Amino acid sequence: MRPYFEEMTQFGCALKKGRIKGTEENFNSIKKIEKDVADEVNRVKLAGFPEEKINARGQMTVWQRLEYLVDPGTWCPLHTLYNPMNNVEGTTNVIDGVGKISGKWAVIIGFDNKVMAGAWLPGQSENILRVTDLSKRLNIPLVWLVNCSGAKLTEQEKFYANRRGAGTPFFRHAELEQLGIPVLAGIYGTNPAGGGYQSISPTILFAHKDCNIAVGGVGIVSGMAPKGEFNLEAAEEIIEKAKQFRAKPPGSVNIHHDETGFFRYVFEDETDVLDGLKDYMKDMPAYHPKFYRVAEPKEPRFSIDDLYRLIPLNPKRVYDFDEVLSRLVDSSEHMEFRPDYGPEVYAGLCKIDGFLVACIGNRQEYLGRNYPEYADYPAMGGKLYRQGLIKMNEFVTFCGRDRIPIVWLQDSSGLDVGDAAEKAELLGLAQGLVYSIQQTDIPMMLLLLRKGTASAHYLMGGPTANRHNAFTLGTVASEIYVMHGETAAVATYSRRLVKEKEAGRPLEPIIEKMNKLAKDYHEKSRPLFCAKNGLIDEIVPLCDLRKYLVAFTGAAYQNPKSICPQHHMILPRIIKG
Amino acid sequence: MAKEIAAPLAGRVFQLKIKAGDTVEADEEILVIEAMKMETPVFVPWDGTIRDVMVKEGDQVAEDDILAIIDEE
Repeated sequence: MRPYFEEMTQFGCALKKGRIKGTEENFNSIKKIEKDVADEVNRVKLAGFPEEKINARGQMTVWQRLEYLVDPGTWCPLHTLYNPMNNVEGTTNVIDGVGKISGKWAVIIGFDNKVMAGAWLPGQSENILRVTDLSKRLNIPLVWLVNCSGAKLTEQEKFYANRRGAGTPFFRHAELEQLGIPVLAGIYGTNPAGGGYQSISPTILFAHKDCNIAVGGVGIVSGMAPKGEFNLEAAEEIIEKAKQFRAKPPGSVNIHHDETGFFRYVFEDETDVLDGLKDYMKDMPAYHPKFYRVAEPKEPRFSIDDLYRLIPLNPKRVYDFDEVLSRLVDSSEHMEFRPDYGPEVYAGLCKIDGFLVACIGNRQEYLGRNYPEYADYPAMGGKLYRQGLIKMNEFVTFCGRDRIPIVWLQDSSGLDVGDAAEKAELLGLAQGLVYSIQQTDIPMMLLLLRKGTASAHYLMGGPTANRHNAFTLGTVASEIYVMHGETAAVATYSRRLVKEKEAGRPLEPIIEKMNKLAKDYHEKSRPLFCAKNGLIDEIVPLCDLRKYLVAFTGAAYQNPKSICPQHHMILPRIIKG
Repeated sequence: MAKEIAAPLAGRVFQLKIKAGDTVEADEEILVIEAMKMETPVFVPWDGTIRDVMVKEGDQVAEDDILAIIDEE
């Protein structure tokens, strides 16, 4: 298929001096907010004990372990600001992302041993389940850096039990293993109870000499057999037992390497554990990229920094989607699917790092006086109309057939509404797109460039498509809400306004409520709110977006569960005609 | 040579950033039209000098109305 993919149609234009001059403010504003986000990320990195204190104990921090383990330049962090239960620690206490180890893509996650020695915290199991889902979706290994002191006992009611509680990841590890996806674990420190299962549930265990894993740790063993109350005698007994077990905690390497053999390896130094993981990763099942690449990898023809000038921070501002995409894909080349149909939707084949990907996005501009064809009003991009929905249904279906991963680039205010839109079958076509996505079973990711609104956020590969969506990235311009705050205020209070007016009562109290609701919507749709609550998996600086696309694409093609030979693909032929 | 800049869509002139006599550079934003809750910037395709501006802020314009005339350099 060399004639199709080696050189595709070039698109995009270099920025001219007038555009550069006129976008300085946008450029600086985005950089400033990205700096604010980076400060938040740094706050998470600094949570708990300082690095020096951990190092003085002869231990590395989770961040140092990750840096040693992951191939330079490949780390794409996820969920850094995720803290849905508003923990005072400011973190769910696991650090995760996608990166390469020994040249192979893996999902990597570690307990932050600076914070309560890596304890379970509220929201952590949801974080871990996102990670196990990611490993499953991309069919790539999961690598754990276990260092888990067990539950934060004073808040156990928030996370210990329930369907998606702290024990659920153990079942997910088993599920990954059933699917043939290995889970490797480097194990450090003291890992009692929940930490014991975090350690034992992976596939192959690489232990540090000072680690221990156990059904119950010092605290539990020394405090078993409840007596109804605590008194002085009981306290003395606890002290004695605690001293005894602290000197020799249960489940050390003597037991779990020499006796049980749970630990396949025991290593002297912390870095040796990581070297052991690296060594195993070399042998992980992975196709050489040449199996699936359709062309040599190439950088885009334009600087990725142009995105700071092309994507307006102002959500009302229209922009040229094609110019944005041209800064993200190899050689700024593509094969566009049905360019003359459904103009509000971009759909096309592009290359990322030499691999074929499908890209779907929202064009933003005015769509001409004759569109949509079913209504007498004009259409603006960002919204979805009949043709755009049909086009996406077709394109997604062909991508499923040709096994091409999809990158969604979303910036949508929703679907067209009203009786004309209903007659044009938008509701059925929208749910039809959900069905089309469900049919594919191919990896997808979402880049939320700006607005994720109304059902468009679901339909266009959003995180609600969670069997398909590997991860969702946001930018500092992202915002997510069911509708704009002012629209919601009108929907909520319009009848009340009528009622108050007819009763001759003052309108100001209702107006105040409307303004409050609109303000709440604004605050609860900001990128930091979205990241904290998991509506997006990471806020990514615009200049790093391509790095994540490379990680997604490389991971999706590393060991795909099903393939379509390039010369059997139908979509490129349909585009060519 | 004088060239006309036409409105890409109908709407209200939301921001006007030029006046007669101004020099402009290729791809510079000269005004913004507000329509359908969105703001559409209008760019000048060439380097040049503004000869005449046919609209003011707040004006309603129709699609293809002439917004400004520019002497291309």
